[in-house]
Amino acid sequence: MSKSITVNGVKYPIDVPEDMPLLWFLRERLEFTGTKFGCGKGLCGACTVHVDGNATRSCVMPISAMAGREITTIEGLSENADHPLQKAWLEVGVPQCGYCQAGQIMNAAGLLNNNSSPSSEEIEAAMQGNICRCGTYQRIKKAVAMAADELAKEVS
Amino acid sequence: MRPEIESLIKEERNKHTASAASNENKTDITALTRRSFLKVSALATGGMCLGVTLPAAKSHGKTAAADFSPNAFIYLESNGNLMVKSGRCEMGQGISTALPSVVVDEMEANWDYVRVEQAEGDIDKYGSQATGGSASIRTQYIPMRKAGAAAKEMLIAAAAKVWPADPKDCYAENHFVIHKPTGKKLGYGELASIAATMPVPEEPTLKSSKDFKYIGSYLPRHDVGMVIQGKRTYGVDTIVPGMQYAAIVHCPVLDGKLKSLDKSEAMKVEGVTAVVEVDRMKVPFGSLGGVAVVANNSWSAQQGVDKLKIEWDRGANGSYDTDSYMQMLVDNVTQPAEKMAERGNVEGAFNKAAKTLSAVYTQGHLVHSPMEPNASVVHVQDDRCDVWASTQSPDDIQSVLSQFLGIDKKNVHVNVMIAGGGFGRKFKCDYVQEAAAISKAVGTPIKLIWTREEDTRTGYYHSNSAQRVEASLDEDGNVTGWLHRIAFPSINTLFTPGIERAPANAVADLESHPFGISNYRSESGKAPAHTRIGWYRAVYAIFYGFSHGVFADELAEQAGVDTVTMLNRIYDNNENKAQAEQVARSKAVLELAAKKSGFGKPLPKGEGLGIAVHYSFQTYVAMAVHVRMKGDDFEVVRVDSAVDCGQVLNKDGATAQQEGAVAMGISLSKYCEIKFKDGAVVTSNFHDYPVMRITDMPEVHVHFVESDASPTGLGEPGMAPFAPALSNALYQASGKRHRSLPIKA
Ligand code: FES
Ligand code: FES
Repeated sequence: MSKSITVNGVKYPIDVPEDMPLLWFLRERLEFTGTKFGCGKGLCGACTVHVDGNATRSCVMPISAMAGREITTIEGLSENADHPLQKAWLEVGVPQCGYCQAGQIMNAAGLLNNNSSPSSEEIEAAMQGNICRCGTYQRIKKAVAMAADELAKEVS
Repeated sequence: MRPEIESLIKEERNKHTASAASNENKTDITALTRRSFLKVSALATGGMCLGVTLPAAKSHGKTAAADFSPNAFIYLESNGNLMVKSGRCEMGQGISTALPSVVVDEMEANWDYVRVEQAEGDIDKYGSQATGGSASIRTQYIPMRKAGAAAKEMLIAAAAKVWPADPKDCYAENHFVIHKPTGKKLGYGELASIAATMPVPEEPTLKSSKDFKYIGSYLPRHDVGMVIQGKRTYGVDTIVPGMQYAAIVHCPVLDGKLKSLDKSEAMKVEGVTAVVEVDRMKVPFGSLGGVAVVANNSWSAQQGVDKLKIEWDRGANGSYDTDSYMQMLVDNVTQPAEKMAERGNVEGAFNKAAKTLSAVYTQGHLVHSPMEPNASVVHVQDDRCDVWASTQSPDDIQSVLSQFLGIDKKNVHVNVMIAGGGFGRKFKCDYVQEAAAISKAVGTPIKLIWTREEDTRTGYYHSNSAQRVEASLDEDGNVTGWLHRIAFPSINTLFTPGIERAPANAVADLESHPFGISNYRSESGKAPAHTRIGWYRAVYAIFYGFSHGVFADELAEQAGVDTVTMLNRIYDNNENKAQAEQVARSKAVLELAAKKSGFGKPLPKGEGLGIAVHYSFQTYVAMAVHVRMKGDDFEVVRVDSAVDCGQVLNKDGATAQQEGAVAMGISLSKYCEIKFKDGAVVTSNFHDYPVMRITDMPEVHVHFVESDASPTGLGEPGMAPFAPALSNALYQASGKRHRSLPIKA
C-alpha cells in the first residue's frame, strides 16, 4: 500500500523520490506555491509550514518522514483569511514584497499554537529564524502581538 | 503529473487560486491619434479607456527613447470598476499602489472599486519599464494626476449631457457626478460609455493639495490580502503546461571557462532528463556561463547539479582576492590619483589652514540577496519566446533575448511578475537568458530556479571601495578645503570592460554634494574590476553617505562642536546659489531628526546617539541612531528618520520604505561582506553571509517634512544616512571610531 500525506485536510499519495523535501512536493507536485523557497538549508524560514500543528522548515524535511502526517500550508491556514494573524497582518500592513510573509505567518501561527500570550522577547526569539530582506520586522512584531491579544479575547 | 491524483489536485488548486479569468479589456490603441498625452477610446464591453503618455524615466544611466503613444491605461467599466495598468515593476516598493492612488484621487473615484494591474513587458506599448533609480514617482506624478483630472472632467461632461445641465453646476465625489442644484446623482459606471465620447480636456484643472483624499494618506497596499493567503504569485511560482525544471551551477570566476565535465552521475538521478552547457553570453546582462541540469522537478535538478563533476579553467581573474585588493584600493587613495573635478584652490586652502584632518573609509562587496532567488520560466519556440519573470527591467529581457535568439524584440513576450525583492539585482536578466538557453536546447518550457548558493556567488556585486577624505579648517572651525579621493571598481566596467578606474559619472555625486565646499577636488584611483559590478539599492549613496557622514562627525570633534552644529556650519558656508534649496532642505531634515531623537541629550554610559544626513535620488533623509553597547557587541535601540521627499504619496508605503532601509542598513553595517579568494566568492548562504534578523530590529520612527513640492523617490534614499549615523553613535558609546563597513565591533 502506498504511503500518503494529508495537506490542508486532503489526503494525497506520496509518489515522489523518498528524499525529496516536503517543500518541493508541495510546490511542484501539488502546486501549492504559497510556500516559498528561500535558502533550501533551513536558514531563512520562507518555507515554513505546519506539521501536526508545529512550525516546520519544509525545505529540509524529507517527504518519506511525512507519511501519515497532517500538513497545513498558508493556503489552508484559515477558510476565509480570517485567522487572527491574517487579520492583524492586514490591519498593520506588514508585507512589502511579500515573499517571506507566508513563512512568517505560519511560523507565528506555530508560536501561538503553543503559547497564546507570548511576551515581546518570546515573539522575537520565536521569529528569529525567519528572514525578511525588505525589513518588515517592526510590523511583524506588532502584528503578532495584536493577534495574540485577539486570541486572548476569544478565549476569555 | 501522474493521472491518479491529477483531478484531486486540480480541484484543490481551484479552491485556493484567485480567479484566473483575465479581465483584459481589448482596446484598439493604434487607432488613437498621436497628438495629446491623453487618448480616449471606448471599451468593446462598454466603458472607457484613457491612455496616458508618461515621460520616459531616466534610470541608472539609461534613457529610454521618447515615445508619444500611451503607456499607462485607465479603464472604467460600465459596472463602475476601475482598473489602472502601468508598466512600472513592483518589487515590494509599493509603486503599484502609489501611482494609481494619484489617479483615483484626482478622479474623485472610490478606492474600493480599483484594481491595479501589472502591465506585460512591452516597450512599444508601455515605453521603458526599467524600474530603478527611485524614478517612477518623480517622473509620473503630474501626468498621472492630469489623467485622473481629465477623466473626472469627462465624466462630469457626460452627466451634464445626460441630464442635461450646465457642467458648472455639477461636481464629482466618491465615484458619482452630482448635480448641485437638484442633488441628482449618476454613478461613474453608468457614465463611462458616454464619457468615452467626450472631448479630452487638454489642460485639466488639478486639485489643490489640501483637498487630497488619498495622496498623502495611509493607504494599504492593494495586494496585502493576496499575500496573506499565499495567493500572490511571483516569477518563481509560474506554472505552464509541459514545463521542465532546471538548476544551474555557474563558473565561479568571471571569464573563466569549462575545462571538463562528467555528467554521468548526474544523469543517474531519478527524474533528470538532460544536462545542458550554458555558454557565457558576453553582454552586460548575459549569463556568466555554467552547467544546468534539467529534470521533472527542481529537487532532482538540484541533486543532479551536485553530482556534476566539473573542472573550471579560472582564467585571468582567477587570482582575485578581496583582502589584497582592498589593500591596493587603500594604497591608491593614499597617493595622488587622477583628477575628476575641481573648484577653487584646495592646496591654497590647505596651506592656510589652522588644522587639517584626513581619514580613510572602506567597504566590502555586497550581494543583493532578495528573498526570492533569481527565477524565471521561459519557453523558446521557432519564432517566438515567452517569458514569465520577476524583473525590474522587461526592456532588457526583450533586448538580450532577441539578441541571443536572433528573433525580433516584438516576438519576445514578457509577462512581468511581481518580484520577491529586487534591490537592483533583478534589473539584470542573466537568469532569464539562461532559462532561454536551456529551453532552446531541450525544446520545452523551462523553469530555472537558482539556489541561494548560486545567487550569492553569481551576483552583480556592489563595489568594494576605499575613500580618503582630507579637509582643512580655519581658526573658527569652518571647513575651507576638501579633497576626496576614491577607488572602486565601477559599474561602468559592465558596459565597457577594461575601464581601469571609476570615471567621472561615478564621482559626480561628490561634486554636486550639498556641502559645496568652495575649495574642492575629487580624484579617482586605479581599481580594475575582477568580477561583475552592479547597482545595489542606493548605489554610490551608500559609501558616499558613509564617508561624508562620518567625516562630518570627525570634523565636529576637531572643531569642538557637536555634529549638528558642524553640519549646519558647512551648509551655511555653501556659497553656491544654485544649491540654496538643497541646503535649506538638508538643514530642515537634520533639524527634524535632531529634535525628534533628542540629539544632544545626556545618555547613560555605553550609549550613543549619532546623526547623519544625505541627499540622494532628489530626496533628503537625516537619521539619528541610538545605540547601546552590549559588551563588545552593540544593539540599535531606536532610529529617528526625517524625510523630505516632497509631497508624500502614500504615508504607509513611504514609512515602510524607511523601515526597510534601516533594516538593510543594519545588515550592511553589521554583517554583509562578500569576499573573494582565488577569483571566486567564498560564502554561499545565510549561515556564512548573514543578514539582520528580527532580534536586531530597532524601533523606527519616521517623520516626514510637510511639503507639496513635487514628489521624489523613496526606495533608495533611506539607505545612505544609516551607516554613518550608526558609526557616529558607536564612537560616542564606545570611543571607538569605525571607518570600515561592515563594522566589526
Ligand atoms: S527555504 Fe527553508 S528555511 Fe529557507
Ligand atoms: S516582505 Fe519582502 S522579504 Fe519580507
